Amino acid sequence: MERSNVRKIVVAGALGAVSAVMAVTPLGYLPWFGGASLTIMHIPVIIAAVLEGPLAGTAVGLVFGVTSLVRAATAPVGPLDPLFANPIVSVLPRLFIAIAAWAAFKLFRGKASPVAAGFAGAVGSLVNTALVLSALGLVGAEQLSGLFGVEPGALPAALAALALSNGLVEAAAAAVFTSSVVSAWKGIESARGKARLSEEER
Amino acid sequence: MKGLEFWKHVSIGRYVESDSMVHRMSPSTKYLWLLAAVLPASVSRSAIVVAAVTLLPLILAPLAGVRIRFLLRGVLPVLPFVALAAAIQLLIAWPNDASPVLARVGPVSVTAREALAVLTMGLRFIAIMTAIGLFTSVTSEGDTARGVEDLFSPLSSLGFPARPLALMIAVAFRFIPIIAGEFESVVKAQAARGADFGAGARGPIRKAKAYLPLLVPVTIRALERAEALAEAMEARCYGTGPATRYVDTAGGAADVVARIVAMLWILAALAGPALAASVGGS
Repeated sequence: MERSNVRKIVVAGALGAVSAVMAVTPLGYLPWFGGASLTIMHIPVIIAAVLEGPLAGTAVGLVFGVTSLVRAATAPVGPLDPLFANPIVSVLPRLFIAIAAWAAFKLFRGKASPVAAGFAGAVGSLVNTALVLSALGLVGAEQLSGLFGVEPGALPAALAALALSNGLVEAAAAAVFTSSVVSAWKGIESARGKARLSEEER
Repeated sequence: MKGLEFWKHVSIGRYVESDSMVHRMSPSTKYLWLLAAVLPASVSRSAIVVAAVTLLPLILAPLAGVRIRFLLRGVLPVLPFVALAAAIQLLIAWPNDASPVLARVGPVSVTAREALAVLTMGLRFIAIMTAIGLFTSVTSEGDTARGVEDLFSPLSSLGFPARPLALMIAVAFRFIPIIAGEFESVVKAQAARGADFGAGARGPIRKAKAYLPLLVPVTIRALERAEALAEAMEARCYGTGPATRYVDTAGGAADVVARIVAMLWILAALAGPALAASVGGS
C-alpha cells in the first residue's frame, strides 16, 4: 500500500495520543517486583517508527516527551518528577528512540517481521533508558545523589545498576508489545490487501 | 471498579479561559516567553538569574488573571522531595569549601556555599514548574498546535515540516479523549472476561501479561481510526495544494514588542553573569 504523507501525519498523531494518555494515567506503568514499576509509554514511539518511518516516530517521541514534561511540571507525583520538568531530561532523549528503533528494524530488510519488530522494540527501549538516565545524571547529579543517598562519585554506578535492573526488563516488555502490535496490524493490513478488488485485478 | 475511570484523570495542563492581556498574545509570543523562563532556569549557573527567572511567572500571572496560589499549588506535592534532597545535600560536606559557616548543629555545619546551592536548586524547580503551569493555563489546545507552526515557519523554507508537525499535534489533541475512552472500554471488556488489573496478589509476570490484551487492541483501534481519518482527508484533497488557515495568529504591535523583550531577556540572562564577572574582574 502506498504510504501518503497525510497518512503518516495522522497515524503519528493517533499514536502520539496513545502515548500521551499512557503518560498522564497509571496505564503507562507495569507493576513489577518490589514495588518498582516499568514504563511502557515509549512503546507507541517505537511502533510509529516501525510502521511509518523515523520522521513520524520522532514526532510521536516529541509528543511523548512534551506530555511527560507538562505532567511532571503541573501534576508531579514522584521524587524524580521535578527533574523531569527539565526538557533536557524529558524531551531531548525521547527524540532519539525512533531513529534507533527504525534503524534496528531496517537491519532485517523486512524479513521476519515479528522478530524484527521485537528487536526494534528492545533497541528503542534500551536507547530510551540509556539516554534518559544519562540526561538525569548530567542535569541533576546533586539532587540524585541526595535522593539515592550515595556520594556524588558513586552516582554513575547507581544509575548503571538502575539501567540494568529496570532497563533490561523494560526492553523485554517493549519487544513483546511492539512485536504483538505490529504483527497484529500487519495481519489486518494484508488481509485487507487480499480483498476482492485486488484479486479481480489479476 | 474504582480504577477504571481514566477519563476523568486525563488533563494535560489546565487552560483557564479568559480575555486578559496575556491570553490575547499570539501563540508564538507565548512560546518565546516560555523559553525565556525555562532556558535560563535550567542552564544558568548564576543564583541571581535563577531568582529573577523564578519571579517572572509570578509577575506575569496577575496580568493573565491567573491566581498565584493556583500556580504554586502545583508545586506543593514535590516540596517534600526537594526538601529531602536539600537536607541530604547539606549533610554531605563539600570538599575544599572555604566559605563562612552560617550555622552549626552538632557535627553538621551549613556553609554559605551550601545554602546558596540548595536555594538555587529549589528555585530552579519552582521556576520551571510555574512557568510551564502558567503557559498551559493561558494557551488553548488549538493555539498550542498553531504556535508550533508559527514558531517553525521560518525553517519550513529549509524543508522543515512545520505544517505537518502542527497538524500531527492537533490530531493528537483530538485523539486523546477518544483513546482514553478506548482504554476504558477495553479495560471494562477484559475485566468482564475475568482479567485482573487491580492489586491482585498474583505474580508480577502474570500482571504484566494482563496488559498485553489491553495495549494491543487499543493501539490497533487507534491505527484503524487514523486510517479512516487519513482516507477522509485525502478524499477532501488535503495535501494536494496550498492550505489556508482559518485563525490568524500573526499578532499585532504589542506582540512584536513582547517578542523583542523576551529575546533581550534571554540574552541578558545567559550572557549577563559572564559580562558582570569580566567587568568586576578587570
